[in-house]
Amino acid sequence: MIKYPSFVIVFLIIIVGISLYQIKYFITKNEVILQSINTKISKTRSDLEILKAELSYLKRPDRIERIALNKLELREILPTDIWNLKDLLDATDSINQRQLK
Amino acid sequence: MRAFIDFKDNFGDRRNTKFRKFKLLACGIFFLFSFSSIGYRTVSLAGVNKSSSQNFSFKTENGGFYEPLSRGNIYDRNKELLATTIVTSSLNINPQEVLDKENTILKLSKLFPQLNQVTLTEKLNTDKKFVNLLREISPKEHVMLLNEGIEGLKIRTTNKRVYPNNNLAAHLLGSTDIDGIGIAGIEKSFNNQLKNGENITISIHSGIQHITEKILLEQINNFEAEGGAGIVMNSKTGEVYAMTSLPDYNVNNYNETSDEFLFNKATKGIYELGSTLKLLTAAIAFDSGLVKENEVFDVSRPLRVSSRTIRDFHPLNYSINIPEVIVHSSNIGSAKIAEKFGSSTQLKYLKSLGFMEKVNLEIPENGMPQVLMDRKLLTTMTISYGHGIAITPMHLASSTATIVNNGVKVNPTLLISEKKLNNRRVFSQNTSKKIKSIMRLVVKSEHGTAKKAEAKGYLVGGKTGTAEKLSKNGGYLKKQNIVALTAAFPMNDPHYVITVMIDNPKGQKFSYGYRTAGWVVAPVVKKLVTRIAPILGIKPQNEDALDFSEKLIQYEIRGKNKGENL
Repeated sequence: MIKYPSFVIVFLIIIVGISLYQIKYFITKNEVILQSINTKISKTRSDLEILKAELSYLKRPDRIERIALNKLELREILPTDIWNLKDLLDATDSINQRQLK
Repeated sequence: MRAFIDFKDNFGDRRNTKFRKFKLLACGIFFLFSFSSIGYRTVSLAGVNKSSSQNFSFKTENGGFYEPLSRGNIYDRNKELLATTIVTSSLNINPQEVLDKENTILKLSKLFPQLNQVTLTEKLNTDKKFVNLLREISPKEHVMLLNEGIEGLKIRTTNKRVYPNNNLAAHLLGSTDIDGIGIAGIEKSFNNQLKNGENITISIHSGIQHITEKILLEQINNFEAEGGAGIVMNSKTGEVYAMTSLPDYNVNNYNETSDEFLFNKATKGIYELGSTLKLLTAAIAFDSGLVKENEVFDVSRPLRVSSRTIRDFHPLNYSINIPEVIVHSSNIGSAKIAEKFGSSTQLKYLKSLGFMEKVNLEIPENGMPQVLMDRKLLTTMTISYGHGIAITPMHLASSTATIVNNGVKVNPTLLISEKKLNNRRVFSQNTSKKIKSIMRLVVKSEHGTAKKAEAKGYLVGGKTGTAEKLSKNGGYLKKQNIVALTAAFPMNDPHYVITVMIDNPKGQKFSYGYRTAGWVVAPVVKKLVTRIAPILGIKPQNEDALDFSEKLIQYEIRGKNKGENL
């Protein structure tokens, strides 16, 4: 009667011990993987910072302006280029009236 | 016999019970200890105790475990990157590990022509175990070095602060030293936040900053000037959208830049900004109630006060009212107005506008104004047209914003302000409206001094100022001017203030030899408004079609010989 529970307890300890070893082994292995992933993240972050800096360098307002002027032949917006819808409708009406006359 | 057996059994049972109890207790303690240890270890391995410094996942989740915390970035108001930190490699060598020094020197000098053989020989023939050869090498050079297989080389990664936009907002951003500590500008002011990895967003608009720098630089070159400063500011919140000081420099080369280029003319340099201060004189006159609104001042003869004679650049032969004093930029008229309200009133208002202290801008480079405080009549008079008072262009921008913001004080800021400001009032709303109307006339009227600042549809208003430059040895340089213009737009409801100053422009053929603010700075404001208004969402308006509430006061401004009736 006494021997049976003792046997169960010893068996449990062995099982738990083995499980603990397995968990520790598993976690150590995953820690190494995690470390390598974090190193990659760190490297990627660093690369991203460089890419962001490069993008910002390429998006410099002076460069964009040069491209807009030389390659796209854009010019600055003049006050006469800006119309609100009401003015546009009035202008269209007056043109239509002139055409009717 | 029976009694003996019973005794033996009883005695044995009692002994057995005790032993069993002891065994059970020992086993219990052993198992409890074992299970507790196993339980603790299992739980700790499972990562429940996340606050433990030993816990791996805790550190990574909270950032920066594998890399040292890098300095935060600086962004403009549209989240455009202005400053960041990247990882670069530096080239170092341990001379004690180099076996064939001659060959190594040859290989290194071939790969890096900037390293001359004499220097390399010196560096390799020391007892040191670590010598820096180059602070920065490119990834390509790194690979080339690995291919060469040079012994003793040590490649170290270091953080480097970079400014992708080169010269853009150079004086604002400032710089960091070799250890990554802010030594100027935003980098210094926000060093604590930045060094803890916090990003900073400033109120600057990169596009408007570039346009301001470009247009100002063009005009500085056109008039062969020494430099200049330009400020674009939101006149309601005080947010600075652009602030430039020229000549500027590439922020990435801060350490190789001379002090002359590093000097911030917009916030640190103090100048006598001449007639731009007449706006304040008119505002004080209206607001204090010490000068009648329709009072006229005889400006037909030069005004002699103490040892000095006050003259006008554009003399008029009749008496003029306050709006005409400002539009014609009459020194005599301004001096006479100041005589009316006196020194105490003048100094009280100058103090309210912040002219007795540094502007509370979020950079360390702020200049302290110099105001003559002797309370003499001559001083009061000269201060009224901007002489005897030296302020920074930022002070002028701030005071202009206060005037056009219905008289409520505007404090310039480099941070995006989200909360509504509850600043104190300096001038009444009525005074503000009168000055706004006069400012518009300075640009709009055919007799105004800033006609060239008129940007059609944007209702620009402003005031020019041309002053002789202060000599370093005291006195004035008769042939060198500081020209300035402080403006706002659209004047029916001003949203933005522009203040431009150019240092020592030379008269040009195309300007008929003139080097006054009207010729030099006014066109800068026109170009600037035309370029930035669409970006800022300001629509051109028909001034004649404005609502009654938005209409400005239409003062009559007379020309040169139209004073016969007064």
